[in-house]
Amino acid sequence: MIKSLKRMAGLGIAAMMMAGVIAVPQTATAASAYEGKKVIFIPIAMGITLTEGWARRMEEQAKLHGFDFEVRDAAFNMKAMSEIFAKAINDKPDIIVAHNPTVQLLARQIRQAESKGIKVLQINLQSNQKSTAFVGANWSRIGNDVAEDIVAACGKGSGKSGKVAIVPGQLTAADSVLMNKATMAVFDKHPEITVVSNQASNWEPEKARQITATVLQQNPDLCAVFGHWGIHTIGAGNAVKDAGKADSVLVYATGGGNRLICKNIEDGVIDRYWSYNADGQGRDAGAMLRLMLQGAAPAEGEMLEVESPLIVIKKESYSPQQCWDLPAK
Amino acid sequence: MDAGLNESSNSFQSNGDLSQQNWGRGWFGSAVRSWSKRLSIKQHPLEYIVLGITLTITLVFAFLIEGFATLGNLAIVAQNSTALVILSCGMAVVIITRGLDLSQISVMVAVSSVFGLLLSNGSDYSIAMLAAVFLAVILGLLNGWLIAFIEIPALLSTLATAMLIAGVCRWGFLQGEFLVLIPKSLPIIEYISTGKMIGIPVSVVIGALVLIATSLLLNKTVLGRIVYAMGDNYIAARLTGLSVRMATVWVYVFSALTACIAGIIVSSASGTVDFRIVTNGTLLFEVIMVVVLGGIRLRGGRGGVINLIIGVLLISVLRNGMTLMNLSGQVQDLVKGLVLISAIVIDNYINPRDTETDTQGDL
Repeated sequence: MIKSLKRMAGLGIAAMMMAGVIAVPQTATAASAYEGKKVIFIPIAMGITLTEGWARRMEEQAKLHGFDFEVRDAAFNMKAMSEIFAKAINDKPDIIVAHNPTVQLLARQIRQAESKGIKVLQINLQSNQKSTAFVGANWSRIGNDVAEDIVAACGKGSGKSGKVAIVPGQLTAADSVLMNKATMAVFDKHPEITVVSNQASNWEPEKARQITATVLQQNPDLCAVFGHWGIHTIGAGNAVKDAGKADSVLVYATGGGNRLICKNIEDGVIDRYWSYNADGQGRDAGAMLRLMLQGAAPAEGEMLEVESPLIVIKKESYSPQQCWDLPAK
Repeated sequence: MDAGLNESSNSFQSNGDLSQQNWGRGWFGSAVRSWSKRLSIKQHPLEYIVLGITLTITLVFAFLIEGFATLGNLAIVAQNSTALVILSCGMAVVIITRGLDLSQISVMVAVSSVFGLLLSNGSDYSIAMLAAVFLAVILGLLNGWLIAFIEIPALLSTLATAMLIAGVCRWGFLQGEFLVLIPKSLPIIEYISTGKMIGIPVSVVIGALVLIATSLLLNKTVLGRIVYAMGDNYIAARLTGLSVRMATVWVYVFSALTACIAGIIVSSASGTVDFRIVTNGTLLFEVIMVVVLGGIRLRGGRGGVINLIIGVLLISVLRNGMTLMNLSGQVQDLVKGLVLISAIVIDNYINPRDTETDTQGDL
């Protein structure tokens, strides 16, 4: 009885489907949207968990949906990066994923690519030039949030000097430009906060260490160091630790939140860290690639944007689960 | 021959006023004559100009910058310049032979990568250090062999090995990564980065020891005398039977060893080995600038440890003062470039080219 009821129900559903009453769930787009499509990713350098994490997730999407994904590594060579970008434009891919080292370096080429019908997805570091899409951190938000935290820790009523040292990576990089602007906007409302140093480390831990050691010597009552990227802030944090001031100077940093940084939080080199979770960004970038290949387009003069959610990791409430790692090779 | 070499090794020919005077015979007279030659302003105008500039800048900084003229800041200046001093020792010896080592920073990063990787993998620090030293010697031998026996000009061979070593380091040692974390909790790393000997930071003591070793090498060994002879006139040195090929090899090994020591100190202090020092950094240019500003001519045969100290003093004081003044890196580079050009222009004005100095490779 039950069997025959089931059979009848099945036949009924099949009949309704054929009549178009019930639609079979379809994938968002036919596979043809991806067929023969090509994406070129141009990172500042591979070998960083950040870029490796992004590439891994984007490649996953490419393999799953059958489009071509290629990485062209600039290996920290800015001149090479421009040349690689020019070559990528000549190769006419459907999408170029650009990781801008500064706000101006690739601006002209991004415009050129878009004018030739090549969509550009900017990842994490924006250029002055808008393009089809951006996936990455909201640097202004991070700058604002870190500054608010510093004000709470070093400002009125804290009993601290209010002295802060900022160690950007490169003053013309998008993250430093936007974070500096947002941070200073907060500090301007709090005259008790003094920025005693704001010098770029060129992303190098040793340079960050030297700057911080010098600033600490001049300002032994320094309250906080804000390094714009976790990697170079390791040098700054070690300068604080070596000076025996790990308990009195707070070290702030931002970054992709991988295990290497968390090791430094465990070791007390970095105290507070704003993670934009590079693994999650990679997934967002992969999804954005698919949307772009399906034809998603922004409103005139705008960009499609996905803002990366933030994870705030603090030494006092740190848990290893707040970090991610690349799978072992 | 011996007398000729002695003259070369002192590297300054006497025509200063003081050195012309008869200070008497014997050890004391000889010592006075020797030092009067060494300190002659006519012989070494660039050194005095650089010293003058350093003194002026120091006074200006001391007047303008709060916290500059303090013992604590002096210790920071010394600590931050240690790697530069050590690297400059190796580069100076190479340049005195009329050579150039463009691979020094690549060697430094490769060697410290091996050091860091071994430590991270739990190896004993003595094994890590031995491996680092061994690799430095091998890389120095490679440079020396290419220059001395294959006879490729130093500029080209060290440029090529710099790229080769950087590539092998990145893709071989680092497996495509660019950063190695140094376990700062290890007692030896802690000792190098924060330890003190009679109140002086250990890294500064190591820097001073390398300076002394360089001075001894240049002034008290046969190799040192050959180094000056090669720089003065390579063909003449070779024709007189000096073992210039082997000397070349040892000179590049020495340079690689200084890179090894500097690498260990830098990585211990920052807690990282950063591959980007090779590609992004300006360290190599700073090293060459220190050597040249100190008065060691690129055409070789002249200079010593005093010149290095003069060069390092200027760069370190400038860097420290500008950091305290919160000047950006770009402005700092601009100022350093201006100082270098000014020193050379003043030197050329005071010491116009003559038949001896107007040679290829002269500043």
